[in-house]
Amino acid sequence: MSADSAIDPEPVAVQPLSVDMRRLTRVGSRPNFLDYLVQLWDFRQFIFYDARARVQSGTRRDRLGSAWLLLNPIFNGLTYFLIFGLLLKTSRGVENYVGYLVVGIFVFQFSSGAITSGARSIRSNKSIVQAFNFPRAALPIGANVRELLSAVPLMLAMLLIVVVLPPAENITWLWVLVVPAILLQSLFNLGVGLILARVISRVHDVTHLLPFALRAWMYGSAIFYTYERFVTHPQMLAAIKLNPLFNVIDIIRDCVLYARVPQWQSWAILAAWALGALAVGLVYFWKGEESYGRG
Amino acid sequence: MDAGEREIFIEGHPCVVVDSVRMRYRVASSAASDTDADTAKPRFLRRAVNKPHMVTVQALNELSLVVERGESVGIIGRNGSGKSTLMKIISGQSKPTSGAVYASSTPIMLGVNAALVQDLSGDQNVILGCLAMGMSRAEVDEKFNSIVELSGLEKSIHLPMKSYSSGMASRLRFAIAASVDPEILLVDEALNTGDAQFGDRSKLRMDELREQAGCVFLVSHSLDTIKAMCTRVIWLDKGDLIMDDEPEIAIKAYQDFTRHLSKGNNISAAKILDDAKANLVATEVRGRSSRRSRG
Repeated sequence: MSADSAIDPEPVAVQPLSVDMRRLTRVGSRPNFLDYLVQLWDFRQFIFYDARARVQSGTRRDRLGSAWLLLNPIFNGLTYFLIFGLLLKTSRGVENYVGYLVVGIFVFQFSSGAITSGARSIRSNKSIVQAFNFPRAALPIGANVRELLSAVPLMLAMLLIVVVLPPAENITWLWVLVVPAILLQSLFNLGVGLILARVISRVHDVTHLLPFALRAWMYGSAIFYTYERFVTHPQMLAAIKLNPLFNVIDIIRDCVLYARVPQWQSWAILAAWALGALAVGLVYFWKGEESYGRG
Repeated sequence: MDAGEREIFIEGHPCVVVDSVRMRYRVASSAASDTDADTAKPRFLRRAVNKPHMVTVQALNELSLVVERGESVGIIGRNGSGKSTLMKIISGQSKPTSGAVYASSTPIMLGVNAALVQDLSGDQNVILGCLAMGMSRAEVDEKFNSIVELSGLEKSIHLPMKSYSSGMASRLRFAIAASVDPEILLVDEALNTGDAQFGDRSKLRMDELREQAGCVFLVSHSLDTIKAMCTRVIWLDKGDLIMDDEPEIAIKAYQDFTRHLSKGNNISAAKILDDAKANLVATEVRGRSSRRSRG
């Protein structure tokens, strides 16, 4: 090793070069927000292809294949039914408890799955991020489109269970309202996923906390009990009912189980959360655009 | 010392401008820390906290370059001299600690080390990769056959990526990356992987790409390749720019240097390095936004 030569960051000769910079752009620089949205639109084929290809391959390793998309929430529902319905009897005062539980679990599971995969989309696709230059938000959006696609059989199964298991419910026109509710929920998932994706790309430790946060959220979303039974303070109750996921679940329960038109307040709360989360998520994610997949 | 405050005025629009780029990494070292503060703690405590000893690696010291259209720049140097770091910075894969790179279009790096999506099949990866580079679906369909042909994977293209050998994966990766015709092309030497048959085919495609590209950066340990292909050679050593000159001159100096080193003549090798450095005229980029020189 040339030990002696390393000491000399001597001022060598410097030649200034005057360079026309007008047509140059900084490599890896972030476009302004509107251009970014336009870019995302230009990459829509990438987003949809990514989503579709991975729906098919997601469960290929399991023997039962895509059936796990359904079996998973069904087993979940069974577990909660045994513990909360039969053992702890939180079912008291709930009309059609099985339906109540099934709607709660299936709908919540859609959100928890979508938020988790949106949040991990940047980390788990690091190699694609490093190999290609595309607007990074395409990955969380792709993950959410994928979850939405796989939610379709999930929701059909949920409705089937509600129709088949006693007390069987009748199919009404109100069932159509499930679609806008799920779409709003999906926008909310995307917003949260975008925020978490940037956080996790910075501090990977957050992935370990995510399952706990989601579980706490689930227990707080009136899936196997009603708020009215445990919360007596009216203001407290109103505050808890601002939970966006509770509102989706409530809307769908009203439509599917109780043949009631959902209250406009629920829609308003849900829409506000969905659009708010999406706007905050997009801007927050865009601000970190230059940092993804580096270092 | 001073090469004169005479600015050299560069006509036209350069392809790539590297403006005072510097790269520093903070990495964990497995070497025991030599600070006293650490050794004061008992060993088990240090293990439990598990905070590795961090060291700063100067991967690249301040460096500026202006590369014009039609230039092919070869980058030479020993292992660890910062060649790949410089390439990654120019391609936008890593962000320099300070400074910036400006380019007239998105530089494309042809490497073979990035993995694609393991769960998807080869053909799905081709489509996904092309869409990620911003092609439309119609363009992908048009180029699909030539990509598969270049990769030489034949029937295996329908198998999932995770069943591929590393050679097969890198061939596919190269074929995808080579399907665009970039204006600014970066080539890392790792291309020498793969069997002889693929070697010929990829070389053919590389020659084509190089002819079409506006400017090319090439990292290779094969000095013959560099001599044959490049119009300008940059010699890096331990993160410092040593020489930036005609290929014959720079390669000859580098060969002298390595010959002395391999004979164990560290002192004479260091002298070559110092001489080269003393003659180096560093570049200083002065951006202008008008056609006329400012003074």
